[in-house]
Amino acid sequence: MQFIFRILCIFSMVNLMLLTGCSSGEKETGTSRHQGQPVVLRLKWLVNVSAAGEIWALKTGIFEASGLKVEIKEGGLEHNAIKDIELGRAQFGVASADQVIRAVERGADIVVLAQIFQKNPLKWIYDGSKLHIQRPEDLKGLSVGITYGGNDEAIFRALAAAYGISKEDVRFYAVRQDYTPFWNGDAQLWPVYSNVEGIVLAKKMKEHGRMPMFFDAEDFGIHLVANSLVTSRKIYESRPELVQAFTQAVLKGWEQALDAKNGQLVADAVHEFDGSVGVKLIQEQLAATRALVLSDIVPIGTIDKAAWRDSEELLFRQGLIARHVELSGVLK
Amino acid sequence: MNGLLGRLFQFSAIYGCFVGLLWLAKYGMGFSDYLIPSPAEFLHVIREDGPDYVIYSLNTLGVAVYGHIIAILLASLIAVIGSLKSTMGVVTRVAAYNLQAYPIVAVSPIIFIFLGDGLASRLLIASLICYFPLLLSLLGIFSQPVEDVEHFFVETGRINHRLRLAIRLFENLDKLLTVLTGTATLAMVGTIVAEFLAATAGIGHAIKIALYQDNLARILLALMLIGICSSFYLAVIEMLGRIFSRVLQKG
Repeated sequence: MQFIFRILCIFSMVNLMLLTGCSSGEKETGTSRHQGQPVVLRLKWLVNVSAAGEIWALKTGIFEASGLKVEIKEGGLEHNAIKDIELGRAQFGVASADQVIRAVERGADIVVLAQIFQKNPLKWIYDGSKLHIQRPEDLKGLSVGITYGGNDEAIFRALAAAYGISKEDVRFYAVRQDYTPFWNGDAQLWPVYSNVEGIVLAKKMKEHGRMPMFFDAEDFGIHLVANSLVTSRKIYESRPELVQAFTQAVLKGWEQALDAKNGQLVADAVHEFDGSVGVKLIQEQLAATRALVLSDIVPIGTIDKAAWRDSEELLFRQGLIARHVELSGVLK
Repeated sequence: MNGLLGRLFQFSAIYGCFVGLLWLAKYGMGFSDYLIPSPAEFLHVIREDGPDYVIYSLNTLGVAVYGHIIAILLASLIAVIGSLKSTMGVVTRVAAYNLQAYPIVAVSPIIFIFLGDGLASRLLIASLICYFPLLLSLLGIFSQPVEDVEHFFVETGRINHRLRLAIRLFENLDKLLTVLTGTATLAMVGTIVAEFLAATAGIGHAIKIALYQDNLARILLALMLIGICSSFYLAVIEMLGRIFSRVLQKG
């Protein structure tokens, strides 16, 4: 009996040690091994090709060379970068304009350091062999997938308002985590990040003899800025050298990650962090990301202030913010 | 009525402490309204969104009640079959014990594929979440002989399966009522989980939208209404249980 009791005690202690030692309750994506100023970066979403620049900077030692010991953490509905920054759990984060503007409206003191995506990757995928959508008015009579409360809802409603599409003209279909309604045809258009799941879905559609096409609200003047690099005003003002070093390292990471000659290596690096997607597919996703991040007109990371103003106006008109938000002090 | 007031008071006290602590943390640590909404913002949200959220909560409560009823009927049926000493009874018991190991959240995508994201899925998920604890309790009650009472009927040759179940049910009525009350909370949780995962109605759906919009004030409002609805439902079940016991004892 005593023997069994001892075994149980040892088992419980080992179990407890494993639980406390190995899990912090959330997935840590990666940390630089070398010494440097410790920095936590909270991503907007799960780790995928949309964080290729940060992953590349971590993997190739760009962060270390800048004197930073960076830990990248995945984001999600419950892991909001702006909240983590305010709580002091992260120094930097990736957030979209809707998150930033909503936060600033409610008193969060944050600043935007760089705009990673020059174009919003959010588009609606559809089967081009069945539908011919040349302009927003062509959406009339179709069933459109939207995430209630998500930024795709705000974008679509803004588009509908701008082009006189009434609630009766389209049927909304609530988006969930699986694509069955799209495959079944219950929803004819489905919102995707065109550089991530859009590539996966398009490939599957081609395999099934369908013709994947994307409807982009941005082509019709609806702008909502996507992933941008943010930090707190306190860090921005008190530690300018850290902010500068980090921002430059991230942008350098993105420059190199999107350089076609590094394609294979970057895909390998992303695959190392997200083993669920094959390297070949990541290369395709990377090519799509290149078109969203790089611009012929402005350098990488440039904050498109006009697009931010449009984003703010869009949120205000949709009633997602109660008052106009002054962005001049927020965009650096 | 006293039961309802008591439950509402208990909930209000806990909820009040919880919100009070949140605000203590907010002002003590200087958090923005974005992180933790101010009392003024919370009141504003109650005024603006309160009526809609009350409707969402009642919708959820309605589904939870129906889901709970389905679960009780289903669990009773399976438990009656499982209490048989035949092979069918043994197989049912084994299947019931094994199936309860599956988390409904993991099974839910399959439910949504076949039933869509309407009322049927919400009902099924709500009933499945509270069905297993009910089933296990009922199986336990129906399989546990009440020797003192059953002995008399066995000796007089009047015992049959129906009578045996009736005796066991009557003798374990308090236990059963506790399980029914406990699973009522689970029915509410199950419905909210289903709504959060895929439905387009109910308070779970509203919470998901509030999460997307980083609106903690709305989530606090939803929590308050969920608590009120749950307290109300639990009090009603307890009241029905008391009436039922009284009627049985008189009979």
